[in-house]
Amino acid sequence: MAAVVDLPELQGDGTAGDAPATPKDYRVWQTDSGGDNPFAKITDTVIRIVETPKPPRAWYIAIAISLSWVGLLVLSLSRLFWEGIGIWGNMNPVGWGWDIVNFVFWVGIGHAGTLISAILFLLRQNWRTAINRAAEAMTIFAVICALIFPATHIGRPWLPYWMLPIPNQMDMWPQFRSPLDWDVFAVSTYFTVSLTFWFMGLIPDLASIRDRADTNGRRIVYGILAMGWRGSARQWHRYERAYLILAALSTPLVLSVHSVVSFDFATSQLPGWHATIFPPYFVAGAIFSGFAMVVTLLIPARQFFGLKNIIEIRHLEQMNKIILATGTMVGYAYAMEFFIAWYGASHYEQFTFINRAFGPYAWAYWTMVSCNVIFPQLFWFRKVRTNLGAMMVICVLVNVGMWFERFVIIATSLARDFLPAAWGYFVPTIWDFSTFLGTFGVFFTLFLLFCRFLPMVATAEVKAIHPAAHGH
Amino acid sequence: MQPFVFPRWSNKLVHLAGAVLGVAPLYLIGLVWYGASPKTLDVGYAPKQPVPYSHALHAGELGIDCRYCHTTVEQAAHAAIPATETCMNCHQRIHTRSPKLEPIRASAASGLPVEWTKVHDLPDYAYFNHSMHVDHGVGCVSCHGRIDTMEVVAQHEPLSMGWCLDCHREPEKFLRPVDEVTNMNYAPPAGQTQLAAGLELRREHGINPPTDCSTCHR
Amino acid sequence: MPSMNEDQRYWRSLTELATPSDEREAGPEFETPLDAPSQEERRHFLKLGAASIALASTTACRWHEDHLLPHTQQPEGVVPGVPRYFTTAMELGGAALGLRVKSYDGRPIKIDGNPNHPDSLGATGARHQAAVLGLYDPDRSSSFVHIAGGARSKVTETDFRVFSRPHFAALKAKQGRGLYVLSGSSSSPSVADMKARWHAYYPEARWYEYEPVSSPNERLGSQLAFGAPFKTVLRLDRARVILSLDADFLAARADSLVLARDWARGRQPESGQMNRLYVFESSLGETGAVADHRYSLRAEHIKALAAHLEGELSKRLGAPGVAQPAPAAKFLEEPALRKLVNAVIGDLASQPGTSLVLVGATQPPEVHALGHRINAVLRNLGTTVQYVAAEPSESSPAESIRSLSEDMLAGRVETLLILDSNPVYTAPGDIDFAAALAKVPTKVSLGLYLDETGRKCDWHVPQAHFLEAWGDGRASDGTISVQQPLIAPLYGGKSEIELLAMLSGDAVSGGLEIVQRSLAKVASEPRLWRKAVHDGVIPGTALPIQQPALRPIAAFEYSRGELSGVEPEQGQLELVLAADPKLYDGRFSNNGWLMELPDGATKLTWDNALLISPNTAQALGVKDGMLVTVSIEGQSLRVVAWLSPGQATGSLKLYLGYGRTAAGRVGGDEENPDAAVGVGVNAYRLRSKKVWDFARGAKVEPSSDRYRVASTQDKHGIDKIGKYGTAERLPMLVREATLTEYEEHPDFAKHVVHHPPLLSLWQDPVKPEGHRWGMSIDLNKCTGCSGCVIACQAENNIPVVGKERVAMGREMQWLRIDRYFKGDPEQPETVNQPVPCMHCEHAPCEQVCPVGATTHSHEGLNDMTYNRCIGTRYCSNNCPYKVRKFNYFNFHEDLKDEKNQVQQMVYNPDVTVRFRGVMEKCTYCVQRIQEGKFRASRENRPLRDQEITTACQDSCPTQAISFGDLSDSKSEVSQRKASSRDYSLLEELNVRPRTTYLAMVKNPNPELS
Repeated sequence: MAAVVDLPELQGDGTAGDAPATPKDYRVWQTDSGGDNPFAKITDTVIRIVETPKPPRAWYIAIAISLSWVGLLVLSLSRLFWEGIGIWGNMNPVGWGWDIVNFVFWVGIGHAGTLISAILFLLRQNWRTAINRAAEAMTIFAVICALIFPATHIGRPWLPYWMLPIPNQMDMWPQFRSPLDWDVFAVSTYFTVSLTFWFMGLIPDLASIRDRADTNGRRIVYGILAMGWRGSARQWHRYERAYLILAALSTPLVLSVHSVVSFDFATSQLPGWHATIFPPYFVAGAIFSGFAMVVTLLIPARQFFGLKNIIEIRHLEQMNKIILATGTMVGYAYAMEFFIAWYGASHYEQFTFINRAFGPYAWAYWTMVSCNVIFPQLFWFRKVRTNLGAMMVICVLVNVGMWFERFVIIATSLARDFLPAAWGYFVPTIWDFSTFLGTFGVFFTLFLLFCRFLPMVATAEVKAIHPAAHGH
Repeated sequence: MQPFVFPRWSNKLVHLAGAVLGVAPLYLIGLVWYGASPKTLDVGYAPKQPVPYSHALHAGELGIDCRYCHTTVEQAAHAAIPATETCMNCHQRIHTRSPKLEPIRASAASGLPVEWTKVHDLPDYAYFNHSMHVDHGVGCVSCHGRIDTMEVVAQHEPLSMGWCLDCHREPEKFLRPVDEVTNMNYAPPAGQTQLAAGLELRREHGINPPTDCSTCHR
Repeated sequence: MPSMNEDQRYWRSLTELATPSDEREAGPEFETPLDAPSQEERRHFLKLGAASIALASTTACRWHEDHLLPHTQQPEGVVPGVPRYFTTAMELGGAALGLRVKSYDGRPIKIDGNPNHPDSLGATGARHQAAVLGLYDPDRSSSFVHIAGGARSKVTETDFRVFSRPHFAALKAKQGRGLYVLSGSSSSPSVADMKARWHAYYPEARWYEYEPVSSPNERLGSQLAFGAPFKTVLRLDRARVILSLDADFLAARADSLVLARDWARGRQPESGQMNRLYVFESSLGETGAVADHRYSLRAEHIKALAAHLEGELSKRLGAPGVAQPAPAAKFLEEPALRKLVNAVIGDLASQPGTSLVLVGATQPPEVHALGHRINAVLRNLGTTVQYVAAEPSESSPAESIRSLSEDMLAGRVETLLILDSNPVYTAPGDIDFAAALAKVPTKVSLGLYLDETGRKCDWHVPQAHFLEAWGDGRASDGTISVQQPLIAPLYGGKSEIELLAMLSGDAVSGGLEIVQRSLAKVASEPRLWRKAVHDGVIPGTALPIQQPALRPIAAFEYSRGELSGVEPEQGQLELVLAADPKLYDGRFSNNGWLMELPDGATKLTWDNALLISPNTAQALGVKDGMLVTVSIEGQSLRVVAWLSPGQATGSLKLYLGYGRTAAGRVGGDEENPDAAVGVGVNAYRLRSKKVWDFARGAKVEPSSDRYRVASTQDKHGIDKIGKYGTAERLPMLVREATLTEYEEHPDFAKHVVHHPPLLSLWQDPVKPEGHRWGMSIDLNKCTGCSGCVIACQAENNIPVVGKERVAMGREMQWLRIDRYFKGDPEQPETVNQPVPCMHCEHAPCEQVCPVGATTHSHEGLNDMTYNRCIGTRYCSNNCPYKVRKFNYFNFHEDLKDEKNQVQQMVYNPDVTVRFRGVMEKCTYCVQRIQEGKFRASRENRPLRDQEITTACQDSCPTQAISFGDLSDSKSEVSQRKASSRDYSLLEELNVRPRTTYLAMVKNPNPELS
């Protein structure tokens, strides 16, 4: 590990110069905030955010807003528990409305982090280091938001534990053929592993905070969180091993979670759901939306907390390239669905897709297509890829589009299935909106707290790939 | 400022924490498992009745047949509680002064019923039918225990779904000849195990208790 | 108990049961010594009451202590918890239908037809099924009421007697001058008897009959044709060709149930012989929906059409006397109509003696007279149509209500006695009956509810529901049935005859004695009487068949409208005002089951709408769901317009019976804050001297406002894509052929859908041995009457959810009747398809439930276990038939209100009442299956076919639904499934539904194909 090496000058753009410098004990240059030590600079820029007594005003405004949304969520859910889920727009035939749409939406978002820190790690994609910490955090927060829905959308929300295999006096077990049960296991596993992965990654940086602590509170809190990390070569060695193992563990999970979520639909017999393409299509979509969300969050974050030198444009550009790629995959899936419907020669399947594109929900369908397929194509142009404003707009649109993708899949297929006499049209209620907005409140609140109190960048990893670390 | 270091004694804590984290969940599970089970909650429930009616005396010593009072068990789902007049059949002559029987006499006079407290109480969504069990050779004792020895009636079995299923899956363990249902100390014919006797009866009467949900839940 | 005499030993409400010692809870009746229950009576009440404590909803929680209240004396032959069945009868609009009622520990909970009754033969309609809900309606008037100067006060029967004794004695003193009675028409011999006695007691009293929706034209027509009034008794089973002239005979007649049965008997293609049904009607009715040839024709045009037919047929077959000259009617020049009419004439002429022509009740007498003549020409008299004598028609309802109000305004009426009738609401718009009522010094009303009229009277007497009182009534053929009470009056009500007896100083006061007295002739001795009560009918009381002789009738005059063309003219539109198929004249408008029952043609609930044909709407600039102002003869009304295929061009239809202001929480009540608001509009306001059943001269003004109606089908309208999709799949869903096609390819239904071999991932969940339950629905017989829907609702404790929720798509009925149209919206073909749970052998719902709340029984039932369900709704999403209904809220919340607890007496104790958040659906009436199996096993014998029946099957007049054991190859259902017409809905999904359909075979006239 990069403890004692020759340290060339650190230029703004992170390319290496060649001026010599004197070796120092790592502890010393961590606390030495000024100076010209590049590693120190990295640590300092990241940790300082946690140490500054006052975060920027924007932070206060943001958290105020998101907290009020959390309040809204509490209100909505209490009413939901009191009255029953009838307060939402769900009805016959559309048994699943925004509840499941939002669930899939959030789980999808929750893919970027682990993908970046696991798969890209295994693929040795160094550029990931600048963003993986934030991405992982976002992943965990997104999954928390997602989990709100399966728990509360059921008719008798005090009984979700019946979906777990607990021995009981009724001799009743869950029905393991049901994809909903697969979900329970898939999502909870994914959540646990991601959480462990994330926390383990945090330890060295928590230690840095601890060591630089100048108040007792911070000293003790971070001290405990750092779990006695001393940064000895032995610890680093173990750390690296564990990191590798967890990465390997979570890699299949990244792919499995959304595949399993897609089974909820793929294994049913409903036209528009019953499709073998769903697993890859859902995973691609998940990565797509996840990356879009990361970019959406990082642009302001790096702006406000002065991380421009660490989270560089080129990192965002890399993200955008992946967004472009996955967006195109999603577009391919859309086209494929139509082709298969035609090729499969099932009246019902064919009707479902004609109905999606030209029926009463056409507005939703075309919103989805334009946001997910058309706009991301702009990323073919380097100018757009590297323009903060442009990428911000496009990424927000992608998130909108991906929400609509889930809405189109769930609502339009259910609204018009086999028997025309049983057709309907889903209309959300005010409580659908408030609940959804509420989850955004939870998401942003958690992320803002993260920005304020935890290191937003994995300094050690950034250093590891820093040219200075390979400067022989 | 001195960086934070875990004090020496915290090393012990680690082991302790490990132990606690290991045991606590098991303990909790055990606690809930035992505490929440009907075996704990329901068995032995013996509410005070308005009249200290002793089954031990009537069914036990005097050997009155269960069906003398619980007349409907063979035709209906419910095992009816006897009408006041049933008690009065005898108690017009016996213990006519007994203060314990005051509520009965009051009821007979006023026409207002005696309010007994229900001991064996199934949830409303469970549809149990006495006649189907009594008429197929399930003894009273199998579900109600040795009523004939009870001064105050107490619940003897958990009456939980799992408990019902035990018998529905292997009725031979409990079956007896239909004319023996009210016999409190029935034993299978000499030289025959309950299992053998039960299997015979089961084959004889073609008893295959269903375990479909709709058997009990409608 | 008050008014609980020796013969009516029942208890009253759960509230009382819960607190037997505290009578004060049970209502004001207890306040006076007169009403104080004797020990004797209370004992009876408690004896039965005790038994049903098991019903009082409890849970198994140990911290909840549950009590058992046994009898004090065991009543003979009553086994607590074992239901018993009694016969009775329900009178509606001048005819009674015999019923068989299931009583659970003294509570009537389910109504079925009395198999012995000639008009029922075991079948019932939606209204009969729903009557039991009306019995337990908490909005019923619960006590005598005295209204002085607008101030309303609950009083006791004694108070009323204190007023009535001297008051009516005074009237008696002057021979009853100034004493008027207003009643509905009744077929009851006892009412007739009491009426006679009334007239004897008060010689100068006047008696008016007013039935707002029953027309005397039929009788007037027969008077015109034969010189004397006759009623027709139809033998549809003998008819090969049936022609309906605006007659919805499968729904709107007293004998409709048996007519439907006979019609359906003639719809079995297997027999090689099928009857053929032609219908000309102004708006889509049940009969039109199942016709082989249907033509939407304005009601006003029927007259000329009938004349044309009579003329033509007389030419061919020779007329008795002069025939009508051919009318110069413009509409008859329509090529399509001409073609059809000629075909009809040919068909009728070719089948002398085995055809039948029916005329709609609201058609003018001339048309009825023509109907009789045509039947005579076709030699049908005595074969397919028979006659029994009818009472000479008194004045028509229109005249009687008018002359009564004139008498009242002229101050000739001193005391008005209103018996079970609601003129303030039902009077035509040009009569202000309330104002006339104000002119009457003393007004006494008898009614189930303190309704619009009751609130304007001085005294109100609570009426006993027909399930609470003794009475009798005649079937359409005159057969007398006894109406026996199933329960003591819940609110101490009086029946019509009891009140009449009370007020006419009759020595006999009890309902039972009155009925026995008036039936003395036919059921004198106790044995006969007991038999009559037991069987529900008195044999040999049918009226004798007559052979009336025709009289010549003069050539008709025609109005401009009657000869007009078909194109709509604004201001000259035809308006048809008809009794609502569900609410009748409005008397059922507080019945939630009926209110929420989707209308057969429009699928509307909770509203009446101005039905208008698409072309007419386009011509007038009217859109679906638009609020319009319809005006005719100076009366006008703002109502929502609803585009209804099959509505005759230029004809508007509006159902009566809505827009109540004092019905109750369901039908609307201006005094009750938590009553439903805006439940339709009061169409009686459009009636006037010139406008009664239908009339020309209506005007419709469009507006920019819209109104949200709750329809259970075609929610949010159907766009182009949707129509395309529907048209594409309809032939696969509802498989249909003509008789000729069927004879060529009897198994046509099996070759509609082509699919690859159906293989399955799952192993078969059902064992081959043992019972295998299944259902077969004959689409050829279903008339879409919806009786089954209510039967199911009554049997299975299905809640009413309210308009808003229906509009959202949350209606709860387990059985829905899908209605599809084909072809030209002005002249559509209609099909009905009842869709219950299919009990798939490879049920998609079972596979996706995460907690195993819906599973497969080894007898092939798709069990739904409510208490295991956590409500993910995944099963419903995965159900291709969308038959699963979800409790989005706790739909039984209103029971928390003390006042409403009487409602829970209607619940079937054999079926769990579902809480919020659980899924529910058709169970094939599993509780009946279990009971049947138990019975057989107790009696230690195999189950008999048709021993177990489902509620829907019981109610069905045409026996379109058959249920039974597929393992028994001789069972009816197995026989049906063996038919070549048998097919399963969406078979290509390989879910293997246990409910299958018999394909529809129509019998169109070859000339027209």
